Amino acid sequence: MRPYDPIAHALSINRRSFLTKSAYGLGGAAFAMLAARGLAAPAPAPQKGWSRGALRSPDFPVKAKRVIFLCMAGGPPHLELFDPKPVLKKLDGQPFPESFTKGQQIAQLQGAVLKARGGSFDFKKWGKAGTEITDIFPYLGSIADDLCVVRSMKTEQINHDTAHAFFNTGSIIKGRPCMGSWLLYGLGSETENLPGYIVLTSAGRTGQQPISSRQWSSGVLPSKYQGIQFQSKGEAVHYIGNPQGVCQSTQRQVVDEIRRLNGGLAEETVDPEIATRVAQYEMAFKMQTSVPELLDFKSESPKTIEAYGIKEIGDGSFASNCLMARRLAERGVRMIQLYHRAWDLHGGLDNGMKMGAQDVDKATAALINDLKERGLLEDTLILWGGEFGRTPMGQGSGRDHHIAGYSVFLAGGGVKAGTTYGATDELGYHAVTNVVGVHDLHATMLALMGIDHHNLSVKYQGLDVRLTGIAGKVVKGIMA
Amino acid sequence: MRAYLSTLLLAASATTRLGAASDDAVSFNRDIRPIMSDTCFHCHGFDAKSRKGQLRLDIREESLKAGKSGAIAIVPGKPDDSEIIKRIFATDPDDVMPNKEAHKTLTPAQKELFRRWVAQGALYEAHWSYVPLKSPAIPALPTGGRNPIDAFIGAKLAEKRIAASPEASKERLLRRVTLDLTGLPPTPAELASFVADTATDSYEKQVDRLLASPHFGERMAVWWLDVARFADTVGFHGDQNQRIFPYRDYVIKAFNTNKPFDAFTREQLAGDLLPGSTEEQKVASGYNRLNMMTREGGAQPKEYLAKYGAERVRSVSSAWLGSTFGCAECHDHKFDPIKSADFYSLQAFFADVKQWGVYADYNYTPEPELRGVNNDSPFPPEVKTTSPYLQKQDARARREIAAFAQAKTDPAKVAAWMASLKDYTERNPDGWLKPLGSFEIHKAPVAAAPVNKGAKPAPNPSTGTPVASSAQPLAAGQPVGLKKALTKGENLVVALKPGALRVAALRLSLPDAKPGTRSSLTVGFAVRNAAGKERKLAAGFADASIHDIKYAGGAETLGIGTTWALTVPTAGTARAVWLLDTPVDLAETDTLLVAIDGAGLQPIEIAVTPFGGYDPLTVGPTAKSAAEQAVAYLYSVQPTRADFDQVKLMAAKLRDYRRGEAWSLVTEARAPLTVRVLPRGNFLDTSGPIVLPATPSFLPGLRTSTEQQRLTRLDLANWITSQDNPITARTVMNRLWQIFHGSGLSANLDDLGSQGEPPSHPELLDWLAVEFRNHGWDVKRMARLMVTSRTYRQSSSLRPELKEIDPNNRWLASQNPRRLDAEFVRDNALAIAGLLNAEDVGGPSVKPYQPEGYYEPLQFPNRSYAASKDAEQWRRGLYMHWQRMFLHPMLVNFDAPARDECVALRSYSNTPQQALTLLNDPTFVEAARVFATRLLARPAGEDRLDQAFRLAMGRGVKPAERTSLTKLIADQTAYYTANPDEATKLLKVGLTPPPTVDPAAHAAWTQACRVLLNSHETITRY
Repeated sequence: MRPYDPIAHALSINRRSFLTKSAYGLGGAAFAMLAARGLAAPAPAPQKGWSRGALRSPDFPVKAKRVIFLCMAGGPPHLELFDPKPVLKKLDGQPFPESFTKGQQIAQLQGAVLKARGGSFDFKKWGKAGTEITDIFPYLGSIADDLCVVRSMKTEQINHDTAHAFFNTGSIIKGRPCMGSWLLYGLGSETENLPGYIVLTSAGRTGQQPISSRQWSSGVLPSKYQGIQFQSKGEAVHYIGNPQGVCQSTQRQVVDEIRRLNGGLAEETVDPEIATRVAQYEMAFKMQTSVPELLDFKSESPKTIEAYGIKEIGDGSFASNCLMARRLAERGVRMIQLYHRAWDLHGGLDNGMKMGAQDVDKATAALINDLKERGLLEDTLILWGGEFGRTPMGQGSGRDHHIAGYSVFLAGGGVKAGTTYGATDELGYHAVTNVVGVHDLHATMLALMGIDHHNLSVKYQGLDVRLTGIAGKVVKGIMA
Repeated sequence: MRAYLSTLLLAASATTRLGAASDDAVSFNRDIRPIMSDTCFHCHGFDAKSRKGQLRLDIREESLKAGKSGAIAIVPGKPDDSEIIKRIFATDPDDVMPNKEAHKTLTPAQKELFRRWVAQGALYEAHWSYVPLKSPAIPALPTGGRNPIDAFIGAKLAEKRIAASPEASKERLLRRVTLDLTGLPPTPAELASFVADTATDSYEKQVDRLLASPHFGERMAVWWLDVARFADTVGFHGDQNQRIFPYRDYVIKAFNTNKPFDAFTREQLAGDLLPGSTEEQKVASGYNRLNMMTREGGAQPKEYLAKYGAERVRSVSSAWLGSTFGCAECHDHKFDPIKSADFYSLQAFFADVKQWGVYADYNYTPEPELRGVNNDSPFPPEVKTTSPYLQKQDARARREIAAFAQAKTDPAKVAAWMASLKDYTERNPDGWLKPLGSFEIHKAPVAAAPVNKGAKPAPNPSTGTPVASSAQPLAAGQPVGLKKALTKGENLVVALKPGALRVAALRLSLPDAKPGTRSSLTVGFAVRNAAGKERKLAAGFADASIHDIKYAGGAETLGIGTTWALTVPTAGTARAVWLLDTPVDLAETDTLLVAIDGAGLQPIEIAVTPFGGYDPLTVGPTAKSAAEQAVAYLYSVQPTRADFDQVKLMAAKLRDYRRGEAWSLVTEARAPLTVRVLPRGNFLDTSGPIVLPATPSFLPGLRTSTEQQRLTRLDLANWITSQDNPITARTVMNRLWQIFHGSGLSANLDDLGSQGEPPSHPELLDWLAVEFRNHGWDVKRMARLMVTSRTYRQSSSLRPELKEIDPNNRWLASQNPRRLDAEFVRDNALAIAGLLNAEDVGGPSVKPYQPEGYYEPLQFPNRSYAASKDAEQWRRGLYMHWQRMFLHPMLVNFDAPARDECVALRSYSNTPQQALTLLNDPTFVEAARVFATRLLARPAGEDRLDQAFRLAMGRGVKPAERTSLTKLIADQTAYYTANPDEATKLLKVGLTPPPTVDPAAHAAWTQACRVLLNSHETITRY
């Protein structure tokens, strides 16, 4: 049980050289901040391998090394995708039984007459496991044996903004770190040439809702753990490109000169931040070189591009982002999060679902297949799902927000593939069997990464803040 | 395997840092409480619901009693008989405390501390931050010292046998104190003058100068705006704009005028409740409205009111009480004596703050006051106020337009024009001509494409077939009055015969309209010549004496566009004026057609004028001064299209200053909502008891409401700054100390509770708190006291020899270096470059360059970002538009918080994103090239490199730096001489016009200046 020294970690890319070269070791502003946050500690030697972050050694067998979270923002309807309900179909258009809805939170249907709405699409049993998946997801159906569908998700927040916050951070209090920041903090990154946590967004043709950069904020963790958003327009990463009129070699000269100046400063002033600053400029320069290489898709075969259904590389589509996700996974990025803003179907559900399926089904399946072919699926954990589901009650031609029961699926590292876990009631309202709360999902994902969720914590305002708060239990049933 | 032990490590480090040597007395507050708080109180503390074994360790009497098992937890003086000592030293996993579920362990040193504490009698102390304030005795001052701060710090250093560091060099000292007090670097002249001043009080004179600077308020505001969670947007879901900048101006002014902190507190929490509440006090009360708000579809008003209420408790308790009430929303605090009832009693003070849970007009939210509210609407209640900044800009813009018009017009021609209209003006003294005319009713006119997005299409007078017309011509000045209302698809076309005249503007009036009636008129204009050929006329800016207010992005839309919608006023004639873009010359035989969509039965009077101007409502022959006449001439006669367009642009900018008027969110009191304790924070659960306002039960000076007398926000504010309450003065002084030393005396600025850190110098903190409270809550006085101390003035080079005994520099044997806050990183670069627009203080938020498409994921409404195009581009960082959901990347990268909630302590990270920002953000590239221009403008013989270092780092260039940079500049000059296109590109970054001469030298020096602006020394205050 060796305490870890997060200060050196937070301050330094190359901890060894930092600690030995710096006369003082630790101090200055960053130290004061960390001390204030309760992160101050004596410095043991770091361990290599599994973690380059705050955690020392795994608590559980390590099944996954990175996460790709395909966030279906807006809340896709479980009843059209993964959770067929014949009884609900029979009840279509009839008053929705009050026994289900009494005392429950309702969003836009507040005060409205509640009527049942049967699922719009047929389902098939796919694969050896016979997993039930909608007809409009034929590509995902074809890889059903790689998926673990969870039909018994439950969340606590019924509006988009707060529901995303809850799904990402396990809390609705602002300033809590999100899942990706926790992973980066706990495990560090496997690449020094790219940010360790990258976010991409895309938008569907209907059902869009806004998304906040708060969703990839590191909150009370140092900002180095924040998610870096790759932009669909302009430069991929803010300020990654040299200024106009400055080529890479002249930029290099500038960076070298900055290093010389900082070196001179370090000779006369004891301040460990200087060495860190030098290291950050080196990393920044490396990123300036790596990102263009990352964005150069020339090495991708036309077959691959077709498999994802990409119309134009880098067009900001979900499909293009999926291919980028694979490239990021290959390069050792710890957390890759794709937001696809398309599922808030209060109206026009049937058409919206068809368009959503066109944009997402093929690309998601291609990503999973591609990772598999490259041997990456086995240690990549994929999560597909929204911040909540949609009501079994109709709202005009659509469905309202729903938190009491909905579906997500997982695939990859350590996931029990070819299974369906949990169940909602006969109308698809409440998760009733093997209920999985958001904290449980988080705890399970961390467990697959080798982490006991109790142990991934940071001190803030006198509390041990965790992704799972004071809740969360590992769901063994979805682990292989 | 427990991987991360932050909690214990804090306790461990606290004890090693601040703890007693083995022969010292163990202090409960310093040594024991932090460990107990972390490892024991969860199960044996304040919260009765989670208490185990009926054992409570936070109260001495309780811990001396026998627990459920019969064993006595603590037997004072007898550690071997004390159950807690047995249990913490136990080796059997079933017996050991803390137990397995706690995921906590004690170090051998901590266990030993417990044993010694019990052996020494197990004495408890009240928690340090909650005990009443008493002024401690000041220790003996070190030799030559005068400042009591140095006595406290010196005594501890002497006790530890550590020598203080020498004073920093004069140059570094002035740079430090200038950055700390104003957020700006000193100028080379200020440095030279200070270095040359050998008077004994030369430093104090500088401090007084800086405290008197208007930039002091801007600097301190950055601190308080974090605490007050000030932002330009509402934060939830659509993250729409809110109108609140006057509150920021209030904060800046409060620090500049040294408003006593107790008054500052009262005005923010209860400005609206003060007797004879002034406009400024109302603006201050906007503090209570800075919680995040939503208008998301499907959001439940009750749920969001609960969220707002809870946030307010967190913010107020954090801002003023340095306490974390957050946990008590759901349950009694486990570590501090904060009960759930305290949380909701504090919330009850704010139950009268008028606000809606969901700021929208949904069918499930039938709020009469929210009728018609959409995504562009503001967030009432608000107060209309004036902004000195806007007033100043308004006056400047008017002067500039006048100067421009005069420069562009020939006075002789202006005079000739005025003379040519002499007869006209005699006939029409107000400048308006009401021509003869007739009217027609047209069926189904073809609508023209709207000029502005969202505007109603203007009716096209030149198409459609008349289905009816006036039987006889209208007399001059006779209003058009319809006998019968038009049916759908019909509109009115009035044909006027003004005669040979240049028409610059048209006016519609409603002379005899019935007060209170609604009217919405959409107009279109055309000219028909004698041959019957028609051409349309474009309307420019239009305004009306009264019209419906519309909003775009939360701000009132200026003017009326082509549609004039209004409720007819009870007094005066409503009128609307459209400027023509551009004025039209009518021949004697021409007919002016005015199509009016939506005409009702009210008579409409139409007039025309040859006089133009930028304000439609004041055009006419009244221009007296030469400048006014020149403006009217430029508008009406428009000698060149380019000048007319330019003046139009200038006028649009002028209007945006809104005559110096501004709106700001305020607190308005309503009948208080019922506040209940919400079990587990669940807003749907109404089973909890109703609570009335009361101050926190664990703090001295308790005030409670009675059925007869309900305490108000003003009572709360008065208690917060009362003599009884010790924690506010401690909280504020601790934070002020952090500003000047990089760390608070208690490092956890946001938690002075038992999970926080006991102060390194408790007596000093108390002494400062007493000074602050007893001498009029005088912030400048305390700041002066701190920055004039020798402790502050020490060298900031850290002390390797103290690494082991004081690794965190808590004994302050030196200053701490600190990276500048995000806003000051920007200000500093712009100031060094000579680009900073520091002259103006206050005003609306500005928009520096920002990566394209950054707001793309924002909706309701969709957002675009237009960077400021004038001197606003280079205003200080604290004026940057604060978009909570997508804060400017530069601010994010340098650790500025989104201000979703109260933030007392920013982090100071050191990341590649910071390097990329300083290297490549156009703001910093432009600053570098303007910095280069500034240097190259110096006489050729001058030492430019030396000047560059004086500007950037407040010191001269060192020989090694000179050699190295000279080579860089030579190499870069060669490169840019060979690649002139590259130089041109680099010199075009930003709005500043590129230099006109010697691009290669400018580009090369730009590269050198980039190096300086990226240097760690430049962004660090040493």
